[in-house]
Amino acid sequence: MQLLLRLSGLIDALNERLGKIADWMVLLSCLVSAGNAMLRYGFSISSNAWLEIQWYMFGVMFMLGASYTLARNEHVRVDIVYGNVSERTQLWIDLLGGILFLLPATIIIGWLSWPVFHNSYLINEGSSNAGGLLRWPIKFFLPLGFALLTLQGISEIIKRTAALRGEYKLASKYEKPLQ
Amino acid sequence: MMIPLAWMAPLMFGGLIVFMLIGYPVSFSLAAVGLFFGFIGIESGFFNFALLQALPERVFGIMANDLLLAIPFFTFMGTILERCGLAEDLLDAMGQLFGPVRGGLAYAVIMVGAVLGAITGTVAASVIAMGLISLPIMMRYGYDMKLATGVIAASGTITQLIPPSLVLVVLADQLGRSVGDLYAGAIGPSIIQVVLFCLYILGVSFVKPDWVPALPKEFRTITGWPLVAKCLWGMVPSLILIFLVLGTILMGLATPTEGGAMGAVGAMALAAMHRRLTWPLLRQGMESTMRISSMVIFILIGSTVFSLVFRGVDGDLWIEHMLTALPGGVVGFLIFVNIFVFFLAFFLDFFEIAFIIIPLLAPAAAHIGIDLVWFGVLLCVNMQTSFMHPPFGFALFYLRGIAPPNVKSSDIYWGAFPWVFLQLLMALIVILWPELVTSWIDKDVTIDPSKIQIQIQNPDDDSGTSDQDDPDALQRQMQDSAPTQPAR
Repeated sequence: MQLLLRLSGLIDALNERLGKIADWMVLLSCLVSAGNAMLRYGFSISSNAWLEIQWYMFGVMFMLGASYTLARNEHVRVDIVYGNVSERTQLWIDLLGGILFLLPATIIIGWLSWPVFHNSYLINEGSSNAGGLLRWPIKFFLPLGFALLTLQGISEIIKRTAALRGEYKLASKYEKPLQ
Repeated sequence: MMIPLAWMAPLMFGGLIVFMLIGYPVSFSLAAVGLFFGFIGIESGFFNFALLQALPERVFGIMANDLLLAIPFFTFMGTILERCGLAEDLLDAMGQLFGPVRGGLAYAVIMVGAVLGAITGTVAASVIAMGLISLPIMMRYGYDMKLATGVIAASGTITQLIPPSLVLVVLADQLGRSVGDLYAGAIGPSIIQVVLFCLYILGVSFVKPDWVPALPKEFRTITGWPLVAKCLWGMVPSLILIFLVLGTILMGLATPTEGGAMGAVGAMALAAMHRRLTWPLLRQGMESTMRISSMVIFILIGSTVFSLVFRGVDGDLWIEHMLTALPGGVVGFLIFVNIFVFFLAFFLDFFEIAFIIIPLLAPAAAHIGIDLVWFGVLLCVNMQTSFMHPPFGFALFYLRGIAPPNVKSSDIYWGAFPWVFLQLLMALIVILWPELVTSWIDKDVTIDPSKIQIQIQNPDDDSGTSDQDDPDALQRQMQDSAPTQPAR
């Protein structure tokens, strides 16, 4: 179990790092988009590459950020049942949900998205817009993001199992996100 | 295992409810239901594996959808503004200005709620700010506890409806209408809503004057010009920011996404003006924005998996048949849908309703000739109530969280009732008076409500608005102009 918890710690650390990158994408994409708008309407300058980089950053943001959000237990739930059961039952829900819901979904979608990236890479796919960016680098984030989510899912399962055996104390408790 | 095709959709819908009720994160539960029934569908031969292979392209389409970029931008703008003390300044100034009038503090809360609603767009931020600042003052000067908590919670929720609101952006995306149209359509109802709230306070101040006492003159710490200056200092930059975002979008100068980005940059400038733009503030803003956006986008990814398979088993047709068979035509449909959404909102939050339920309702609505902009604004008005009704209403939770301990929970709950009623009245007004929404949209698509049944989809609906460079928007327009032909 200790070995597994070490693995889980490594995964958490990795995804926290990547989460930091995702944080930056918020600010950068925002500045790029505002800059694009001002240049276009102020000086009639417009560049497809810069228009595309803003949604590239958006894609990177949520594909890298989702696993850290999972680690922080901030994916929203319907909590009419979940909020009214014991902590132990919550751990069981998370454990079984992780095995039956999350892992199959991330593994299947991740596996399906690999060829999408790979084909794009093989033909060196570019943008359909003049002066646009290469497509395959952003498509790489599809399989990458789902692989990271799979890893984080495994880490969460390890932590829940350890917590159920009384060998680990979960840091994050679920709270409905503010809106 | 053979299941007849006709059973698949109802089973899948039931599966959705069961999977979500378990309480595992919605995004992954949705994807799991989708894939689970996807494999049953393949086993039963309703479609082949190629259907599921379309999934990664769908996810990629979400990435490349420019409009969805507005989600992090608007969230970022809101998180910066809610942390930079703007709400506090505004409430203080407006409270001083209106305080000595009977019911004045309540009017101040409604006004500030409207302004905050326009610029931050988060219910939590408005309710918390107003609960922390105005509630203690109202209590000290003898406002009725139920009225005080009710007006704060209700004014906090106006946020949802007042453009430029993120809720409307997401609804526009799901309904396949332009954001500009939804913004324009929501202006009328927003104004009426604020007026309704103020009228209620006015009524109370005549019937029960001791509920909303005027504050003594000594309450004002500043008077005359300094007070006016303080109000202006609080208001004007915010109004400029609203114009920057809303005006440029409505005039077609900027896409909603760019409007959101400029709003976020403007919010940083505003925070800097108030000398509150700090590095920790920016970092926190980035972090919470990233997590909220990832969460929201993954609900969308999950619901994409679900709806791909759901359409594969003709679930969309099943829902459409069921809804269009309702008695009472357009009004019957709207009343049913509103009651349905009203009750769903007890359990689901806005994004879940928008991504899961709206795509199921929209084709049926379009099919019987309902203007989707009107429909969207109506749903938005309706969903406001979900923040207000006990025991799950979020606005009430937030208020409970920050209210002084001598405020009873029952005061908060009972205090909400008149306001929920006012919001439902608002929904009724929107149903009975469609021009309130439609007449604000481009004149050439104004709809005569008496002819609403034979309304023709105008393919130029979105012309002159901001979505032209978005291929998805074009594609959606094409799908919309043939509403009876569900897209596979």
